[in-house]
Amino acid sequence: MGDYVVFHDVSWHASYAVYFFIIGIAAALFFFSFLSWHQEALRPLRERTAYWSFGFLVVGALLLINDLSQPARFLYIMNPVYLNWGSPLTWGGLNLIAFGAVAAVYLFLLRRGGERWIWETHALAAVGSLLALGLPVYTGFDLSVHQSRPIWNTPLIAPLFVAMSIASGAALCSLLVARDEAALRMLRRYMLWSAGAVGVMLVSLLGTTAYGGVGEELTFQLMLSGGMGLLFIGLGMVLGTALPIVLMLAPFGRQHTVLAVSALLLLAGGAALRYSLLMGPQIVQTLY
Amino acid sequence: MSEELRVSSIETRGVAGKKRYAMVIDTRRCIGCMACQVACKAEYDTPLGVNRTWVPYKVVGTYPNVKKQFLPRLCNHCDDPPCVRNCPVDATFKVEDGGFVLQRYERCIGCRTCMASCPYNARFMLPAHRTYTDITKVVDKCTFCFHRVTQGLAPACVQTCVGRARVFGDINDPKSEVSYLVATNATQVLRPEQGTKPQVYYIAADRNQTEFARDAYRQPAVMEGDRTSFQRNLRT
Repeated sequence: MGDYVVFHDVSWHASYAVYFFIIGIAAALFFFSFLSWHQEALRPLRERTAYWSFGFLVVGALLLINDLSQPARFLYIMNPVYLNWGSPLTWGGLNLIAFGAVAAVYLFLLRRGGERWIWETHALAAVGSLLALGLPVYTGFDLSVHQSRPIWNTPLIAPLFVAMSIASGAALCSLLVARDEAALRMLRRYMLWSAGAVGVMLVSLLGTTAYGGVGEELTFQLMLSGGMGLLFIGLGMVLGTALPIVLMLAPFGRQHTVLAVSALLLLAGGAALRYSLLMGPQIVQTLY
Repeated sequence: MSEELRVSSIETRGVAGKKRYAMVIDTRRCIGCMACQVACKAEYDTPLGVNRTWVPYKVVGTYPNVKKQFLPRLCNHCDDPPCVRNCPVDATFKVEDGGFVLQRYERCIGCRTCMASCPYNARFMLPAHRTYTDITKVVDKCTFCFHRVTQGLAPACVQTCVGRARVFGDINDPKSEVSYLVATNATQVLRPEQGTKPQVYYIAADRNQTEFARDAYRQPAVMEGDRTSFQRNLRT
């Protein structure tokens, strides 16, 4: 013993995980609003999800700005002279701004447009849904470009964030529609498939991480043990991903109460997964 | 480095007509006096809890065959720096002639993506309150003493090193001492697998320190003390 190791702080704290969670839900809610133009069962969700999405977007953006150590300088992200076009954060920031603008106009048209602007509103929903898809993709991409971080540095992170976004968004939608049978049936399918995709990707991610070098191996051990293990495996994978799938596939899986419980578990699991995926891979690096 | 090994246009090592400053650290000569760390702190008034350069050590071996192994650390001023690629507002940049990786304080938005991208933990966030300067709440790092080197002086840590463990110079100049040391010794860089092409070369560095270790499960008490102090005083 007697070693001297300098303490290094993690780069991104838990508030980023909250941001990932909120912005993922905002993206998925907008996506469901777009889907309502094509799936009649989701029609009752169109306006509600658009409003909730915009609300989550505003909260997420404020969180992101507040997390900067120089919050007022978030305006630099809008200055083309300053921008580094090679940075994933640049494209993420622009994606966020573009999505906010499209979502605001879409909301306005939904409120005031009526039948006259129906084609334009639909088109905006399509454009907005693509930009919404960009939100979990860019948040995943922000992590995956960091070559020295195990788990982050894998192409799987962006699709994983997309699947987690759809799972959390569908879960919240199912709580919003309450007792609409047709919408619940459709949302149950989205919850099942997205939670399944999350589970498969997490297992693949863990498998490749356990197989990696010493940094990966240590990260794997940290993610699976102690408090982080409880969050990642216990709440994130077992309670927040596997259990909702089992509940929804059970013979009583279509009951409203069971769906509501599954949705709540998916939301809690989504939050835990984002936290552990953000914080876990940073721990080993702080010891280097 | 031969032409064939240069893959990115940002790299300047081996480019004719351009300076490429580098540091060679001979760990056999390091006595762990921490004078470099103190000189750096004095030069920049670096706040408590964060460091531009630091000298961690490990006691290796089994009694009676034991040794304190030092590994002076600093920004590696990579030839292909991931922090520069990642910064969304060009707050961090590489000086083409010299290879210094520097920080524009007035432009840094504090998103910490450069900290996340650095494999060497060379970057840190300045605290909200400082006594002698208003440069606060932005990311900071070692500059290879840009202000001294451009005046013909050696970096503060190099100048103060009692054992001449740290040697600084232009590695593109074949007559420089760093070129000589790199050419005539077996050197290693930290985490070469990251492809960042670090420009801090170590002679006789110990694997116990250059690689990830089991410290993840054996955190020294001193680090816990640092962590508590950081949370209390410095977190911005």
